[in-house]
Amino acid sequence: MMKTVGISDLCISDNKEDIIVTYSLGSCIGVTVYDPVVHVGALIHCMLPLSKMYPDKSDINPYMFVDTGMTKMLQAVYDLGAKRDRLIVKVAGGASLLDKKRMFRIGERNYSVTRKVLWKNNLLIAAEDVGGSKSRTVILNMNTGRTSIKNKGLEVEL
Amino acid sequence: MSLREKITGQLGSISAMPVVVGKLRHLLSDPDVEFRKLSEVLKYDPGMTTNILRLANSAYFGFRTQVNTVTQAISRLGLKRMSELVMTAAIGPIMQRPLKGYEVPAGGLWRHSIAVAIATEHLAGQLNIPVPEDAFTAGLLHDIGKMVLGTFIEVDTDPIMKLVDEKKIPFDEAEREILGIDHAEVGSLLLKKWNLPESLVNVTRWHHAPHLCEEKSVVLNLVHIADSISLMSGIGTGQDGLAYNISKEATDIIPINIKIIESCAVFTMQKVSELSELFETN
Repeated sequence: MMKTVGISDLCISDNKEDIIVTYSLGSCIGVTVYDPVVHVGALIHCMLPLSKMYPDKSDINPYMFVDTGMTKMLQAVYDLGAKRDRLIVKVAGGASLLDKKRMFRIGERNYSVTRKVLWKNNLLIAAEDVGGSKSRTVILNMNTGRTSIKNKGLEVEL
Repeated sequence: MSLREKITGQLGSISAMPVVVGKLRHLLSDPDVEFRKLSEVLKYDPGMTTNILRLANSAYFGFRTQVNTVTQAISRLGLKRMSELVMTAAIGPIMQRPLKGYEVPAGGLWRHSIAVAIATEHLAGQLNIPVPEDAFTAGLLHDIGKMVLGTFIEVDTDPIMKLVDEKKIPFDEAEREILGIDHAEVGSLLLKKWNLPESLVNVTRWHHAPHLCEEKSVVLNLVHIADSISLMSGIGTGQDGLAYNISKEATDIIPINIKIIESCAVFTMQKVSELSELFETN
């Protein structure tokens, strides 16, 4: 089944028939995790790096922020039987506008907080397509674990 | 015939702004307007009345009791807000279509436009800038040129994107090189054709390069920043992605910082569907 992940949203699956997709990651960061042994995976689409600036908002939707969202995602896949040492992590997004003053650095900060959370959890990034000024669509195939980036109808494996 | 001439030539074939919009906006600009006159104009456009009431009753405005008539809507929302709702109600249905070349799905441009309208007003509020006249409408209309290029003309954006990638230039600059015109100028020409005020035409024309506009305009700078925030958030972002300049001048004039940018993104994200979903058909 095709499942769409919105902005500030998470989808977890242990169903091999699921295809999980998130559209137009701008500065937002998309992370896929997948355990090929138990076929448990997830795709998250976070908008901003840190929840601490908005304690009230993060109560409502933790997936809006990289720090709270990633933590929830990892817990959820572990709960479904995924194991940390088998988890394949892929990262996409974190694009930026052409900004000489570097005031709008949300993309960069999203990426660096993502790395920090992964590092704290002893996870390595297997593949990534981040930065630049491209908008990206990310697809996770729950049968094969393949994560791909789609552009103009063309899917490229990450 | 050049590509530019071909594009500008097609503007005439795009359906005119409903006559009722001009009439209503004119009436609503008069603080002493008689409600009877408004009702007379709306009598002939029941679809418009329905759309205005749907907007007035949306969660965005948060009224506890139902708004049932246009007169009620005006007394609760005021004339300025009403004028904006008229424009929103008129433009909503025609901005739903997918933008083929730009790879924006159905409803994407609409969500982006509503997001920029909301973000523009929110920024003004956060910065204690009195919300200027037509700020919401200016945000709503800024990308209307994409609708022209993406749905009526269905431009092939492949060569434009290729140029963006190769030369590392902004998308609008690449549009100008390939098409001889960019979506901002196309939009401004359409708004002129629709006889909308110069201030709205200017915002659309210069939203990617506010420093080039001769008329100094707070709304223009706010829309430029609101657009940047919405593009980053990925609300209706298309093939062009984030390949746009941030104007140094605009961010020198408008005192924003990362905290304001982020909180504006959060606010806009929370509010956008309250208005955009009213017209989504899929």
